[in-house]
Amino acid sequence: MAFGKRLLSSMFFGAATAWRENIAALGDIDSRFGDGDHGITIGKISSLMIERIGCWQGESIREFIEGVASGILGLSAGSAGPLYGTFFEGLASPLGDEDDIGGATLKAMLAGSRDALFEITKARTGDKTMMDALIPAAEAALGAGDDIGQILASAAKAASGGAKNTEGMVSKFGRARSYGQKTLGTQDAGAVSMSLFFEGLEKGAKEALNGQKAQKG
Amino acid sequence: MKMKKFINSQDSLTKELLEGFAAANGDLVSLEPGNMIVNRHLAEASRVTIVTQGGAGHEPALSGFVGQGMADISVVGDIFAAPGPQACVDAIKLADKGKGVLYVVLNHAGDMLTGNMTMKQLAKEGHKNVIKIVTQEDVANAPRENSDDRRGLVGAVPLYKIAGAAAAEGKSLEEVAAIAQRFADNMATLAVAVRGATHPSTGNMLADLDEDEMEVGMGQHGEGGGGRQKMKSADETAEIMLNALLADLSIKPGEKLMLILNGAGATTLMELFIVFRKCVQILKEKKIELAANYVGELLTVQEQAGFQMFVARMDDELIRLWNAPCNAPYFKKF
Repeated sequence: MAFGKRLLSSMFFGAATAWRENIAALGDIDSRFGDGDHGITIGKISSLMIERIGCWQGESIREFIEGVASGILGLSAGSAGPLYGTFFEGLASPLGDEDDIGGATLKAMLAGSRDALFEITKARTGDKTMMDALIPAAEAALGAGDDIGQILASAAKAASGGAKNTEGMVSKFGRARSYGQKTLGTQDAGAVSMSLFFEGLEKGAKEALNGQKAQKG
Repeated sequence: MKMKKFINSQDSLTKELLEGFAAANGDLVSLEPGNMIVNRHLAEASRVTIVTQGGAGHEPALSGFVGQGMADISVVGDIFAAPGPQACVDAIKLADKGKGVLYVVLNHAGDMLTGNMTMKQLAKEGHKNVIKIVTQEDVANAPRENSDDRRGLVGAVPLYKIAGAAAAEGKSLEEVAAIAQRFADNMATLAVAVRGATHPSTGNMLADLDEDEMEVGMGQHGEGGGGRQKMKSADETAEIMLNALLADLSIKPGEKLMLILNGAGATTLMELFIVFRKCVQILKEKKIELAANYVGELLTVQEQAGFQMFVARMDDELIRLWNAPCNAPYFKKF
C-alpha cells in the first residue's frame, strides 16, 4: 500500500477512535438542547469508518472516501448523517486517482469539505453548529505551510478553538434553535464532534508519519 | 425521571418495532429492506403515489398512515432520527407507477437535509416526476412570514389523508401537489406539554418541567417553545391555544375549520375530550363551522404528557377529500 493510503487510513482511524472515545460525552451535550442522540449517530459513523478502513485494499483514495461518504448517507443518522456524508464527499472532491497526497492536496480536500457543506446548509460561523469548528479549521489549514503534520495541527487547534467559542453563542440551527438564549454556556454537540474529528486526524497522521521516519531511520 | 420501558436492546429498537408493526398489520402493509413500510396495494396502483419519511418513536406516526387512500411508503429512520437519503431515493423509485410521486417531508433539520439530498440525487439520475411538499405548521417557533422556520408537527397526517384521496381520484401529480400545498398553507399547530419523555435509546429526559408547570409550544422532541407557565385548567388551556391558532390563520366567522387534538402519549382521552368540548363551545361562539375533526393519538412522543392542537381552514373540496374512504392501520374511513 502506498504511503498516502497508509497515512489516510491512520488519519481516519485516529478520527474514528477520537469519536468512539467520546460517544457518551457527545450524547450528554446533545441531550441538553438536542434530543441526545448525537453520540449514537457518531458511534454509527465511526463504526462504519473502522469497518471500511479494515478492508481498504485496491480502491484509490478517492474511491475509498467516496465509499465512506455513501455509507454514511445510507445510515439512518438524523441530520448528522447527511452532514457528515456530504463532508466526506467534499473531502474526495478535489481528488483524481492519485495514491499519494501532499500538503497542497490535503488543503484542497479540507477546503472541499467546507465548500460541500456550504452548499447544503446556510449555517456559517457564529450560528452554533459544526460549521463553527469546520470553517476555522479549513482556513487555518489553507494558511499553514506545506507540511502535513503542520497543516493538521493548525486545523485541529482552530477547530477546537471554534468549538469552544460556541459556548458563548445562541443556537440558530437544528433542534437546539428552539431553546434560544438557554443554549448559552453549552458547546454545540456538532462543533465538538467536528473538533474531535480534526484532533483524531492529527493524532493519526502523527502516528503514521513517525512510523515512516522510524522505518527510514 | 428514570426510563421505564419494555424494550430489549437499544440497538434493535427500530428493527423490532417495525417487525411488530408489520406483523400486526400484515393485511395492509409490508416491511421492506431499507426500513420501508409499504402499502400492500402499491403494486397494482396506477395513480400518483405518496412517499414520506421520518424518525421512529412517534407511533403510530408515520407508518400507521400507510395504506389505501393515504401514504404508499414511509421510510423510517431510527428513534427521532431522519432516515438517510439513499433509502428515500429507493422508496421514491419503488413508489413511482408512472404517474409521479408526492414526497412529504416534515420540517425538522435532519429530515430537511435528507429531503433536499434525495431530490438532488433523483434529479441527477433524471428522475424528475417528483414533487416535494414540506409541512411546517408549528406556530410557536416562528411567525407565519418565516414559515420555513416552523416545525412540522401532526399536520402531516391529515395532509396524507387529503393528498391520498386526491391521488385515488386519479388527479395528476401537479393537481395532487397543489391541493396538498393549499391544505399545508392553511394549517396551524400548537403543542402543550406537562411532563417530558425519556429518549428510548439513551434514557435521557427530553424535557424537564416542574410539577406545577406546563409549556405551550413544546416541540415533539421536547424542544422548548418558550411558553412555560403555571399549569392551567382544560378550559383555560383550550382557550389560550385555540385563540392563538385562529389568530395565526386569521379565521373569520362563517369559515369552515378542521380541528384535531393529538395526544402526545401519556395524556388521557378523558382530558382530550374535556379540552375538545371547550374548543367546540369557543368555535360556536365565534360562529366558525367545525367541518372536520379527530381526537386521539396520531403522532406521539413516547410517554410525554400533553397534546397538539391542530386546525386548518377547509373548503368544500378539502372536506370531500378528508371524508373519502381510506384504510390504513391507524386511520380508517368507510
